[in-house]
Amino acid sequence: MSERGVGEGLADLGPARAGELLRLLRTTTPVLTSGLTLTALLALVAGAGRIVTPLTVQYALDHGLLHPHPGTADVVLRAVGIGAAGTVLAALASWWLNRRIFRRTETALAQLRADGVARIHEIQFERFGRLPSADLVSRLTSDLDAVTTFVQNGGVLLLVNAAQMVIAALLITAYSWQLALPALAAATLLLVVMRRIQAVVGRRFTVVRERVSAMQSVIGEAVTGIGVVRSTGTERRSRAAMDAAVEETAAAQRHTLVPLHTNTALGEVAISFITAFIVVAGVRWSTDHARWEPALHLSAGELVAMLLLVTFFVRPLQQLVQMLGEVQNAVAGWRRAMEVLATPSGVVAGPAARELPPGPIAVDLHDVSVAYGDNPPALRDLTIGIDPGEHVAVVGETGSGKSTFARLLTRQLAARQGRVLLGGVPIGQVSDLSFQRRVAIVPQDPFLFDASIADNILAGVRGDARALDEIVDSLGLRAWIETLADGLDTRVGVRGARLSAGERQLVALARTALVDPDLLVLDEATSGVDPATDVRVQHALGALTVGRTTVSIAHRMVTAEHADRILVFDHGQVVQNGPHGELVARPGRYAELHTVWVGHTLAGGPVPSPRDESAPRGCDERRGPTSTVRNDRSTP
Amino acid sequence: MSDLPAGALRVRPGEATVWPGLRTMVDGSLAHPAPALVATVTGIVNGITMIFGAAAIGWSTDHLIVPALAGNHVGRATWWIAAGAILGVSTLRWLTIMVRGIATGLVQHGSQADARRAVVHRYLDLSLAWHRRHPPGQLLSTAVADVDALWLPMIFFYFALGMATMLIVAIIQMFLHATVLGLIGLGLVAAVFGLNLLYQRLLGPRARAAQESRGRFGALALESIEGGQVVRTLGLADRERGRVGAAARGLRDANVSMGVVSSAFDPVIELLPTAAVLSVFAVGARQVESGDMSVGVLVEVVYLLLTISIPLNVISRFLGMMPVSTAGRTRIAAVLDSAETTSYGDRALAEDAGGGAVAVAVGTAVAGNAGPAGLGLRARGVGLVIGGTRLLAGADLEIRPGEIVALVGATGSGKSTLVDLLGRQTDPSDGVVEVGGVPAPELARGQLAAHLGIVSQTPWLFSGSVRENLQLDGHPREHRAYTDAELWSALGAAGADEVVRALPDGLDTRVGERGARLSGGQRQRLCLARALVREPGALLLDDATSALDPAVERDVLAALARLRGRVSVLIVGGRPSSVLVADRVAFLRAGRIAAVGTHAELLAAEPDYRRILRAYGHQGAGDE
Repeated sequence: MSERGVGEGLADLGPARAGELLRLLRTTTPVLTSGLTLTALLALVAGAGRIVTPLTVQYALDHGLLHPHPGTADVVLRAVGIGAAGTVLAALASWWLNRRIFRRTETALAQLRADGVARIHEIQFERFGRLPSADLVSRLTSDLDAVTTFVQNGGVLLLVNAAQMVIAALLITAYSWQLALPALAAATLLLVVMRRIQAVVGRRFTVVRERVSAMQSVIGEAVTGIGVVRSTGTERRSRAAMDAAVEETAAAQRHTLVPLHTNTALGEVAISFITAFIVVAGVRWSTDHARWEPALHLSAGELVAMLLLVTFFVRPLQQLVQMLGEVQNAVAGWRRAMEVLATPSGVVAGPAARELPPGPIAVDLHDVSVAYGDNPPALRDLTIGIDPGEHVAVVGETGSGKSTFARLLTRQLAARQGRVLLGGVPIGQVSDLSFQRRVAIVPQDPFLFDASIADNILAGVRGDARALDEIVDSLGLRAWIETLADGLDTRVGVRGARLSAGERQLVALARTALVDPDLLVLDEATSGVDPATDVRVQHALGALTVGRTTVSIAHRMVTAEHADRILVFDHGQVVQNGPHGELVARPGRYAELHTVWVGHTLAGGPVPSPRDESAPRGCDERRGPTSTVRNDRSTP
Repeated sequence: MSDLPAGALRVRPGEATVWPGLRTMVDGSLAHPAPALVATVTGIVNGITMIFGAAAIGWSTDHLIVPALAGNHVGRATWWIAAGAILGVSTLRWLTIMVRGIATGLVQHGSQADARRAVVHRYLDLSLAWHRRHPPGQLLSTAVADVDALWLPMIFFYFALGMATMLIVAIIQMFLHATVLGLIGLGLVAAVFGLNLLYQRLLGPRARAAQESRGRFGALALESIEGGQVVRTLGLADRERGRVGAAARGLRDANVSMGVVSSAFDPVIELLPTAAVLSVFAVGARQVESGDMSVGVLVEVVYLLLTISIPLNVISRFLGMMPVSTAGRTRIAAVLDSAETTSYGDRALAEDAGGGAVAVAVGTAVAGNAGPAGLGLRARGVGLVIGGTRLLAGADLEIRPGEIVALVGATGSGKSTLVDLLGRQTDPSDGVVEVGGVPAPELARGQLAAHLGIVSQTPWLFSGSVRENLQLDGHPREHRAYTDAELWSALGAAGADEVVRALPDGLDTRVGERGARLSGGQRQRLCLARALVREPGALLLDDATSALDPAVERDVLAALARLRGRVSVLIVGGRPSSVLVADRVAFLRAGRIAAVGTHAELLAAEPDYRRILRAYGHQGAGDE
């Protein structure tokens, strides 16, 4: 298990030894490891109960049936009565054991599942970003389901079988160690051979799992990209890819059959040889035999009981070996889930953690460099200061480092070099409690929960209908909401899929505005919204940005024009820095970008009319004073 | 979960699972006759060997063990027969176990592959509207997990078949020994099956409930993890712990409730044979005492009853898998039986010399409305209602061949819906869409895809190289692979040539799952290039340049403008730049086409349009 650095994925328990796993098991899910003595005792009683039959047979044969006389029946009935009592006891023990194990395992699994998700939300953000969601989910779903399947389909049986096997072996030995020795030797040989073959089976099943996983990717691609498949008419291509993946899976499955069933058959081979041996050797050694042979004094009842016991010994052994694969599956599933919990929490808390100062948050970067993996740095030697309450726009071409900057400020990424301070506190030392809700980002493709629009907007607050209405009105979203049949109660679907990209952004903006952060980072937060709505929302955000620090990243210059200051990024560095009026007048990167932008915006030019300026101007007038005040304040 | 077909999750207590399940197994056998026959024969032979095995033990007891240990002389032949019988029967048994297992596997995996192919082929046929209602995760699980579940009982089918034979023979044999022994055997079998039936009834609904809980937890965990950023930003960790914890506890309770049932039944079913053995002794003792029965017969019957626990166990497990199998079958049937496929006609769009397309019936040469160049598109009174919500009403819009039309509207006004309808990604609830003068549903399969290019709002790439993503099946109408020159020219028009040149392996760079290794803007450009390289007669661009830098967008729009007269283009997006390259503009408001006309006409007539178009322009002007 490694806990070094942030550059890694989940903790790796692959090389962890059994002892360490057990320790983890005890700390993460104590319900599993407590009361093991009682569990073992119940398994022994349940296993012993099954061996009642051979013992009863032996007793009845030796004490009556072989030398029938009046009263034999009573002797037998007594034996049967004791046997019946034993059987009932075993049934009760088995019932108790089953319930106990089911309940405890499921309690532990539920805890692992809940704690797992909680831990995932605590893992350091940068590390979390590198972990594929599907893998994390499968660790807490299918991997743990494998444990449930194992426990319910034979895990408990395995325990009872093991107990039964031990008791049967002891009894055979008690009847005659001379007969037991070769029988146990044969069983050991069986065990060795079966384990060898099982290893082959295991390897081939690994291939099956890989093929299944590859098949899932291929099918998953076809169903998520069905729109593209349909519009490009490439059904044949997808069909061929899926058919190939399905066939490869089936081929891998067929490849497991021979070793798998050879193993099953081996148990029968062993049972028949041991049985024949006990019949022949048992009878011969108990009657006239050569001098080198051992002399036994077995009764017919004991010999018959031994024949039965052989079955009671070999069958569970067989099942044990066959279930090894499933045991490994379950253990592997468990381990993968525990790797989530073994990954250290990235939560900054405790005495070393520091609080952000109240009010708008200042941002200071000193010689900051950021790189993804071994790639050239995405940000280089960046030194920037943003005053509390300032509204800064970041512009630049795709790949200039804008989004990296946004992720740096919201702790989704750590600097390789240099210092990042929020409100004067090194960003890594800010406590999570202080960071949450005070530093917020609205990304280009925001995530919505599968709930109503209202629920999504209110997700971050314990708000009521009034707060909801206020935020919707203040962002000017009322008109849009009213076009929806169910209004604010419209369900947004999984990940908000029932809304358009722009609508998702509007919901995310409202949600974030409602938590009222002190540092707000907007990363192309309105890119999918139509221009009129965009401008309305931008104005409203302008009003909302009063009293907080705002960093807007945009390729639409309209955002930049109304910021207090503009940072122009190019190849990971700030090449220009100043208010719009100043930069646009000076030849340079910003002027170039702006010229292109003007090309976009002049469309409305040719046909001016008195009416068409009223609406936007109205907006402008509403926010005019605010904007002036802010400009004044931020001008150095 | 609310989107699932009602039947898939309905828990019906006591729903028949055994007969439909058996029928499925028989159908699977008939589909794979050779291995199925081998498995059936070896299964039955294997069952019979268990009878012989018990008989061999009984015979050895009477003729070897008891007389020899009583001090009587036993002939050499008897020794050989005893050992030979035990070993011979056993050889037959392990051979049949092996062959039966392998043959069973062939049927099972073959059937799984068949079902899987049927399901995934169906996915390709089902309409996009159907796909929108079914999350990909659910579809994936039907194709993988549900198919596995459906054929799970096959493992034990032939085994169980042989064991059933064995049971019948065994009970007849016990009746032949003594009526009372036969009755005990019959009683045992009846008790085990009766209990099993009860068990299935109790377990079935619980198994389904557990499966639902699993699905619920999975969906919730996925949502919570995918929304990690929101959870952190808004400090929702506690809320998520509560939500997910509740789902985990729900799953626990559902699993435990299954466990409670099986923990009561398992021990009873398992120990019933022991009870039968004890009964045999109780009644057999008197018969041995009176000399009516030999000890060997008693031992044989005991051995038989103990071995009977195997067939009973196998048959129980076989039956136990039936509810799981039924649950899988229900979900698979929901896919296979869904009638929501896209229907196709038999008419084709033939290309004329100018690269445009005219409609002809496949095989014959009946010309439809021909366009001079480019493929005309027309919506006549088109409307769409989904789930009771009207998304679009009475939309009339014509995109003439070779014309560039812009579609403008506020967020949520129905632009994407109209694009979906024009590209037949969805069929309208009312009205008709015509492509090249032909009602879209009358066109043959593949026709639209061959002549119409669509670039959607969210850029989606296949995992694979850039080249593979552009090539797909090659040129849709000329049925050949694209040359590199064609690929680069399309990339150039889409403003993606520099992006691809900058990639480490150029055209052969792998883009990752769903293009994850590229940025949104890069993906968008590749999707555009993918549409352009196919040389469509008409192109639908649904806000397909939203993630591009203004400079790149300008170049892309200029390239699109050069298609004028050769390709009909519909550009969605309210940015002035895209409106400027359009010949005409359609303006959508709240699900209706409010106006169609030139940009200037709309500016003059539609205040809402003006508001959208001049939103930026006004401010830009203000600052200059």
